[in-house]
Amino acid sequence: MARRARPLLALRHLTLVVIAFVMLVPFYWVVKTAITNENIYEYPPSLLPKQPHLFNFVDVWYLIPFPRYLLNSIVVSAIAVIGNVVFNAMAGYALTRKFPGRRAVLALFLSCMLIPFQATIIPAYLVTARMGLLNTYFGLAFPMLSTIVCIFVFKAAFEAVPKSLIDAARIDGLGEWRIIARVLLPLSKPAIATNVILSFIWSWNNFLWPLLITRDPQMQTLPLGLARFLSYMEDTTGALYAFAVMVLIPSVFVFLMAQKEFVRGLTSGATKG
Amino acid sequence: MSVIGTQAAAPPLASPRASRWATQRHRQLLLVACFLLPSLVVFVLYRIVPLGWNVVLSFEAWSPLKPARWIGLANYAEMWSYDDVFWTALTNTLIFIAASPIAIAAALGIALLVNSDLKGASVYRTIVFLSYPLMAVAVGIIWRWMYDERGGIINYALRSTGLVDRPIGFLQDFDWALPSVIFAEIWQVVGFYMIILLTGLQSIPQNLYEAARIDGAPAWARFFRITLPMLRPSLFLCIVVGILNSFSSFDLVYIMTNGGPGHATELLITHIYKSAFVQTRFDYAAALTVVQFALLLVLTIAANRAAGGNAGAVERD
Repeated sequence: MARRARPLLALRHLTLVVIAFVMLVPFYWVVKTAITNENIYEYPPSLLPKQPHLFNFVDVWYLIPFPRYLLNSIVVSAIAVIGNVVFNAMAGYALTRKFPGRRAVLALFLSCMLIPFQATIIPAYLVTARMGLLNTYFGLAFPMLSTIVCIFVFKAAFEAVPKSLIDAARIDGLGEWRIIARVLLPLSKPAIATNVILSFIWSWNNFLWPLLITRDPQMQTLPLGLARFLSYMEDTTGALYAFAVMVLIPSVFVFLMAQKEFVRGLTSGATKG
Repeated sequence: MSVIGTQAAAPPLASPRASRWATQRHRQLLLVACFLLPSLVVFVLYRIVPLGWNVVLSFEAWSPLKPARWIGLANYAEMWSYDDVFWTALTNTLIFIAASPIAIAAALGIALLVNSDLKGASVYRTIVFLSYPLMAVAVGIIWRWMYDERGGIINYALRSTGLVDRPIGFLQDFDWALPSVIFAEIWQVVGFYMIILLTGLQSIPQNLYEAARIDGAPAWARFFRITLPMLRPSLFLCIVVGILNSFSSFDLVYIMTNGGPGHATELLITHIYKSAFVQTRFDYAAALTVVQFALLLVLTIAANRAAGGNAGAVERD
């Protein structure tokens, strides 16, 4: 059995290595272009970077208002992350309680899940305009302040806390707020991590919504800056690719650091609908 | 809010103990309502209200400076008879959705390969999944560059191996543009499908396979009789994600081709965007949105039927 399995095992590894290669080539190619000084349209292109350097990364700071885009992206992501953690935890906790209308609220949340954000962009824009939130940080973050998937992540985490622990805390005279702060939240750290990571990545990558509601260049976020850079410069300069690499770094970093929490969040969404 | 209203209307209770219980209950309901409020505001403002408003808008003639006028089905009639771009975009969207089973099949293959005690399985998994959480705008820029006629590695590989004589302008060519964009989209999303399917694979009880092995079922029979049927809910979810991706691929298409050349890569969502925010025809774009949303619902329900009817079932209590 084992002898027969060996060539099969080698074949599996070979297939996976080829797949991994296909998945990684685009990363290599963009990084190589970003750190190369040569004319990027040279043919044949060199497969290895000649005289690698980081000038392109410096260039980005001068060619466009990169610091401003970065600041905007960070502020919007921070608002979205804080909103998600606080509001989702609150809603998740509420859903662990029994109250009249609970089924209706659950049904509402689940049906909202079926409505992709892109299907609501026109009225969402009009709603935001009516509230006077166009070109504001809050307007950028508002639709992302709470996420249904993440509410269910919190709900599942709170439900996993043993009832006896909560009862004991209640007998000790702890109020509702204290039970949440001292008992439930400390036991739900993985859920908090999942919320932080998912909401950060969603908000950091978000392009369509900022494209709609920020006409003011001062309020635009990194993805918009990247798209603007592309439309000004076409694909002619290595700085474009340096810019692309820079915006990818935070999400790649967060993902590699917290892959487990990230996957848990996505798959809990998967099993919960 | 109505929750509190009904409680307040309840008749006062007689015994002090019961009334203490009632106030406590009252306070708890208030707490629940307050806790739900922020999320509900977000979802009502950005999901429920827009959905309704969108439908109303699609039956009106309206622009930001003119009062709304009810025009019935005129927007839809225009779409049906006069808007060639709509039909192109609809076809492209359907092709986009129809391509997702290819990605799901590939993801299933990868999931089967990395699901086991294979050495380094987690490394492969990370590599395949790495492209999923990336900013689609940057992914679009990367793939534009991959497909480039001179600087792109794909053309270089094809030319240096002698497969083609002259470079292919993947994103400029009417026939190549849509498949090229779809390939980039698959590259980004295949890891997500893989993760969903892996979770599904790991929830299949191992004793099913043991029993089948004892009965002498060959590997292909175990795959078709156990693995595939047990994976049904996961596959259904992948298909729903594939359908939704025709909406969320806006970023990628916008950056890679902006719907061009001509309208060769126009999707309904890019057509909606251009109608509303470039031509300022919010009313007409709302009608387009209704059509795309209906398409999405019909396809999802059909997929649910095909998956056995209860795949969408979530927590019951």
